[in-house]
Amino acid sequence: MTALLAFLFIQAIDSIPPRSAPRSIAIDERLAADAGLKVGDRIFVSAAPGGAGDTVIIAAITRGRADPSEVARSEYRVRMHLDQLQTLTGYADRVDRFAIGTRSEPATDSALRAINSVAFGFRAHRSRDIAVETSRTFVVVSRFHRAIGVITIVASAIFLLCIMLLKVDERRRDIAALRLLGISNRSIIRGVMIEAALVSSLGSAMGVGLGWVASLIINWHYRGVYRTPLAFAVITPSIVGLAVALSLVLGLGAGLLAGRRLVRQPPLDLLTGRHERRRAVTATA
Amino acid sequence: MLLRLVWASLIRHRARTILAVLGVAVSAAMLLDMVMLSSGMRASFKNLLLSRGFQIRLSPKGTLPFDTDATIAEAGAVTASLRAIPGVTTVSPVLGGQLYVTIGDRMTTAIAIGVDPAVQGDYEITAGRSPRAANELVASDDFLRATGAQIGDTLAAAAGFDPQLRAVTGRRALVLVGRAHFIYLAAAQNAVALPLQTLQEMRGEPARDRVSLFMVRASSSDSVDSVLANIERALPRVTAVSIATAMRQVDERLSYFRQLAVILGAVSLGVGFLLVTTLVTVSVNERLGEIIVMRAIGVARARVVLQVLLESTAIMLVGAVGGLGLGLVTARYLNSILASLPGLPAAIDFFLFEPRDAWTALGALASAGVLADIYPSWRGASLPIAATLREEAVA
Repeated sequence: MTALLAFLFIQAIDSIPPRSAPRSIAIDERLAADAGLKVGDRIFVSAAPGGAGDTVIIAAITRGRADPSEVARSEYRVRMHLDQLQTLTGYADRVDRFAIGTRSEPATDSALRAINSVAFGFRAHRSRDIAVETSRTFVVVSRFHRAIGVITIVASAIFLLCIMLLKVDERRRDIAALRLLGISNRSIIRGVMIEAALVSSLGSAMGVGLGWVASLIINWHYRGVYRTPLAFAVITPSIVGLAVALSLVLGLGAGLLAGRRLVRQPPLDLLTGRHERRRAVTATA
Repeated sequence: MLLRLVWASLIRHRARTILAVLGVAVSAAMLLDMVMLSSGMRASFKNLLLSRGFQIRLSPKGTLPFDTDATIAEAGAVTASLRAIPGVTTVSPVLGGQLYVTIGDRMTTAIAIGVDPAVQGDYEITAGRSPRAANELVASDDFLRATGAQIGDTLAAAAGFDPQLRAVTGRRALVLVGRAHFIYLAAAQNAVALPLQTLQEMRGEPARDRVSLFMVRASSSDSVDSVLANIERALPRVTAVSIATAMRQVDERLSYFRQLAVILGAVSLGVGFLLVTTLVTVSVNERLGEIIVMRAIGVARARVVLQVLLESTAIMLVGAVGGLGLGLVTARYLNSILASLPGLPAAIDFFLFEPRDAWTALGALASAGVLADIYPSWRGASLPIAATLREEAVA
């Protein structure tokens, strides 16, 4: 089959009169677009360039399935009547495989057992197992994405912690005043953490919006590049939930660290900036 | 004095500076990885294709080498035609197939490559020797592990399997004479190589005088284009693929990784830039009084700008140097993930380190550091002295 597709040779034959009523075939939309073909066109197909073949009429133009295993393959697909293809390729009364529909999962199990134990020269596989095998590339790519995701989370955590430290440090005088007024350390840390949670929530909402726009652009771009209806980037509620939860946890952690660091300093030092001067003196000494 | 001031300023907020350096290090690591990814697989693939000096591959019309089961007919005549083309120094025909080896009651399947051992470019012998007689073969480490066979053993091999009769076809007794590393095959693949004619005979009529591809060596890299043109003119039923064409195909198929590298690299650079800009801006805002006093006692604006520039550059450089080491470690890990892509030659590296990559990443980060410095240094240098002194005093 792959050999046939690889050698598929098409030429216009308007000038060649048909010997009998031509049969119909379906071609994929990429072939139709690239070769400028449309429904009703007559074409000549053969198993090898210049070899014996058959005149056929294009009866349908099909769109490829959203199949990950086919995404990087650029061969054109032609669907023909089985006997027509067997004749064309000299394959006699043979087929590559059968697809069998069953009523239920138990029926699939019993059909598998029956075929594999009785049929001579056949091997039955569950469609799901074949799908797993043909999607191995995407399993690897998915692992790669997860690894990149972990690195991104580490970078985000550091960034967030840095920003929270800066924000809290910037407000040290306000915090010192609050502490001098008798507000407890716990209340101050709680306030910082609430602020961190708000910043994280707002950032998450913006991130989800940005991610959604990015997924639209990614799908639009790669669907065009690979000419497939496959969705390359999908935003699901679970992904949004994970991102928001991670952001909140990181934000709260950063807020806790920044708040605790600040309340450890005496309030008068914070108010007058003496703690900084002390660091500066140590540094220059 | 200036350097001491920079140092004092950086260690005044140790935690903040350490976090900034860490953030830049992670960004630098990601940036280096992405620079390596964007160019590494290309360079690695090119090195692989050129590793045996064959600049041109010929495959059946409309296909890429070993992309389909299609074969080239009249291989003997095609070989003669190729040898007659000026500039062609070596022609290596290759036939692909399967080999079924039975040891005891166990059958092992392997990828079989039929070659002319004298001019082959598919494997390197690591132990033993190359096949000399028609009934000799060499095998990969994985094949030897799977079968338990050793050099010198005679193997019962077959080239086909009839599912109707559940019996092997094209039987032959072959002597294992060497262990080989197969250059273009994926890791953990059972593979054997044997003389081309032997494999053709074992496969029977469908493979008679047929090959899957030809590898052609031109006399020099300058003559490749003319040799390619002559081949296409002389042999219209084959597709001649030069290294440049193969690279274009690789670019097309793996464009996803290149684009991902560009996007993530840009994001990493952006994050590093934002981090340093934020930090230096806040740092300058906190020290406005100090900066204004320096300017009031006669310190030049250029010196203030230089101090701020040195601070951001120091953070960027220290972070970048740490990040380069981190980047090499993560690149190795990420490469191990992508190396398990099915069907990928084991010799392909997605993350190939070249000194140019490190310089590119370092240069990009240094530029980002200088850019990050523009706003805070402008602010520090442009504030009105009297008004700012009064505001700081009131504060």
